[in-house]
Amino acid sequence: MTAFVTINLASSDWPSLIPLLLVLAISIVIGLLMVVVFRYTSDQKAIGRAKDRLKANLLAVRLFQDQLPVVMRAYARILRGTGSYLRLAFTPFLIAILPITCLIVQLDRYFGWMPLSPAQTFLLEARIEDAEAANQAELQLPPELSSTAPAVHIPKDKEVVWRVVGQREGKYDLHIATAGHTVTKQVVISTGVARISPVRWRGNFWERMFTSGEPALEENSPVEAIAVTYPPRVINFAWMEWNWIVLFFVVSLIAGFIFKSALGIQV
Amino acid sequence: MKLFSFCEKRYRSLHVSLLLIGLVLLFPSRSEAYAGPGAGFAVLSSFWTILVAFLYSFYALVTWPIRQLLRMFRRRKAYGKAEVKRVVILGFDGMDPVLAARFMDEGKLPNLVKLRDGGTFRPLRTTFPAISPVAWSTFQTGVNPGKHNIYDFLARDLKNYLPYLSSAQISEPKRHLKIGKYKLPLGKSEVKGLRKGTPFWHWLGKAGVFCSVIRVPVTFPPEKFPGVLLSGMCVPDLKGSQGTFCFCTTRESSDKFREGGVRIPIERNGVGFRSFIPGPENPLGTGNDLRADFKIRPDIRGNQARIEIDSESFSLEVGQYSEWIPVKFKAGMGFTAHGICRFWLKEISPEVEVYVTPVNIDPGRPDLPISHPVTYSIYLAKLFGPYATLGLAEDTWALNEEVLDDEAFLAQCYGNHEDRERMFFDALEKTPQGLCACVFDTTDRVQHMFWRYLDKDHPAVRDMPQDQKPRVIEDLYDRMDALIGKVMLQIDPETMLLVISDHGFKSFARCMNLNAWLHQNGYLALKEGKNQSGDWFEDVDWSRTRAYTMGLNGLYLNLKGREREGIVEAGAEAETLKEELRAKLQGLIDPASGTVGITGVFDCDAVYAGPYVDNAPDLIVGYGEGFRASWDSVMGKVTSDIFEDNLKAWSGDHCVDPRLVPGVLFSNRKIAVEKPAIVDVAPTILKLFGLQLPSYFDGKPWPVAPPILPAKHAA
Repeated sequence: MTAFVTINLASSDWPSLIPLLLVLAISIVIGLLMVVVFRYTSDQKAIGRAKDRLKANLLAVRLFQDQLPVVMRAYARILRGTGSYLRLAFTPFLIAILPITCLIVQLDRYFGWMPLSPAQTFLLEARIEDAEAANQAELQLPPELSSTAPAVHIPKDKEVVWRVVGQREGKYDLHIATAGHTVTKQVVISTGVARISPVRWRGNFWERMFTSGEPALEENSPVEAIAVTYPPRVINFAWMEWNWIVLFFVVSLIAGFIFKSALGIQV
Repeated sequence: MKLFSFCEKRYRSLHVSLLLIGLVLLFPSRSEAYAGPGAGFAVLSSFWTILVAFLYSFYALVTWPIRQLLRMFRRRKAYGKAEVKRVVILGFDGMDPVLAARFMDEGKLPNLVKLRDGGTFRPLRTTFPAISPVAWSTFQTGVNPGKHNIYDFLARDLKNYLPYLSSAQISEPKRHLKIGKYKLPLGKSEVKGLRKGTPFWHWLGKAGVFCSVIRVPVTFPPEKFPGVLLSGMCVPDLKGSQGTFCFCTTRESSDKFREGGVRIPIERNGVGFRSFIPGPENPLGTGNDLRADFKIRPDIRGNQARIEIDSESFSLEVGQYSEWIPVKFKAGMGFTAHGICRFWLKEISPEVEVYVTPVNIDPGRPDLPISHPVTYSIYLAKLFGPYATLGLAEDTWALNEEVLDDEAFLAQCYGNHEDRERMFFDALEKTPQGLCACVFDTTDRVQHMFWRYLDKDHPAVRDMPQDQKPRVIEDLYDRMDALIGKVMLQIDPETMLLVISDHGFKSFARCMNLNAWLHQNGYLALKEGKNQSGDWFEDVDWSRTRAYTMGLNGLYLNLKGREREGIVEAGAEAETLKEELRAKLQGLIDPASGTVGITGVFDCDAVYAGPYVDNAPDLIVGYGEGFRASWDSVMGKVTSDIFEDNLKAWSGDHCVDPRLVPGVLFSNRKIAVEKPAIVDVAPTILKLFGLQLPSYFDGKPWPVAPPILPAKHAA
């Protein structure tokens, strides 16, 4: 991994490496943390026994390969043993899933999308519940942003779309006024890593939890949701393009394997 | 629009993931489903296991018809004329026919009674001498010791009159790389088996009969054959010895254990204590032994202590054994020896004393091969957990030296026995057809150590009232009978069951130092001014010595041209000397008891035949009932007294006149032979499987009656 990072360092500029380094660092820390959590939330002895029995039955298949009934019995025991092993891994999994899911959701705000670059055109989409309100929708921009085309109405989807561009880095609030209500959506223009909320929802608790970083729109607002088309982030690592979560999965798994062996933890 | 649908899709997948955690575990394709390395490992390991198992099974399944076809051709040889489907051999080392008959007559041992009444019960003639490695070597090879080269546990080096282990030789790697003070070994230690001859399971395997062989003595190093084998007696501990226990104590003592153990001081370390387990010699050639340090934290109120070694930490109450604990001996430069041992907390107040078993080779990570294939010992360790691998796993020395008490020793024996039972029943399940043989050593060790309670007049417990003597040996036979009962329930009528032992047992109440007798009768000379000699003939004047003894029953002439400082001319002089010794020793009376100490002295030229007879002792001494070679005599020591009481816990023995200690033969089939011998077992098994007998066999196959099958089997 060091070699890959070194190559990346040599071939890239520093700012573009920051997300990679952060993802690697977080993955390693989480790898360690989760292995330790696994250690204290699992029945280590039982997991050790279950794994040993699985290995024994695998060896039995090899040792007694000439005796088909023995092989078949060993295979049945392997299936049963795998079930027991998964059951034993289930408790720590249940304990870990909540904080890890929250963590991933939060990290996804930073690593899931890239902020808009200065002078980069983006789309602002608003889903408005009735056609009347959609027709009245008016976009109010701060001075640093400007609209580059007239609004497009898509009645079928109850949507209004604006094409916007920002010239300077910063966090800006865009306002959409309609039917006597004004709603706001944040837009981030930056060249670094920033917390991004691609969509703002009205209600929809679970959707907000997993995809938005902004408070809910008012319940009586005719606007159901506002979204900004941030480009998804791709991380270059080891001559490949990675979604950060995939990279996180791979690196934390490798780190976990290393730490579990070093700390003598049964996983 | 795309953006909304992307967000919604992302949300949906998360939602579904949370609801279907089980499925998420199995199919972590969406990244959000990932819940840390723990789940990742579980999923990957499970899939890996299932995949490997599937591939193995698939391979086994696909190739099965071809292999079955090949085996059919091979098996035609084996099973074509076979009289049995399976032979199960239960070896009970040292089971005595006289005791077995006595207990059966007393209405005990119901399963042995069933075998006796429905099948066979006979004394089984043993070998000369009646010692386990000799007898079990004959059992497996079907030949006399002159052809398998094992005459005792020990053999003597003709160059220096020193002993070496007769069954196996472990030598250092031949090549080393010298780096500064270190000598880096290039390659592995070489293990060479010294037992000659071919075990009968090799012939069976070759003919396509599957064999599972567990802990038969003198099978170390394990030899390649088509079957599985776990080595038994003669497997060394990690130090390379036949078992060196470690007694860690805060008590100061300069006494050394006679053999089999080392005393290690325990030092105070803050609120706790620390000590160490001595390990093997440093492989890097630094000249020192490796060691594994451990800490002890006594809890006097709780009558227990916490022991920490490597990453292991466990609590023990006084008088309690730990499980098998893995121990690593690190030599540096990546060299680590892996062993396992058990701790027994003897005392925590006023002194702290911990007994540690000899460090056994770890069966899950064997540094030396202890099974064939190597994976078999690993398979058993994974299936049942770590187990004793040392040849003489029951620590008789520790009981002899009073480090262990009776109860602790028995707990150790039966702990090992239970492990062995589990292995045996697994082998029985895995061998539905073929040979399944297992030797249980508990019978030998318990009788050695507890015969004193059976013998009314044994000097070791002379003052103990008869009614207070525990019935350890009766209990032992009951347990073995129960095991036989369990086996009988698991075998079908087409399986032939053989229960055998290599020798019987007698009391060992009086010790005889034969070297002292040889000295007092002018056959062995000591250096000027000496009237005794230390271990291994330290003070013997070889230039005037004509005969000497070492080991349990062998008597050697100091033969010119053979021994380094031999003085007896081969031929007439040697023959005359042998005759003279035989005449004087045979019928030798113990003046204290008035009983015969030696009932037979056997000329090896008469009892052995084969290419290795030259390595045999010249005479085999057959001690009378109640006698045995003294502990000193075995170790080549010359004392002033010839006879003395045996006050040790080791109170029963079989190293006497072999005619007095036959083994047992029980079977579920009628065997029509009056005087069966252990040498006959191999030819009998080969014949039962319809194989041609090798011409060099000394044993003769027994006529075995066909099974009496129930109606449906007969049909």
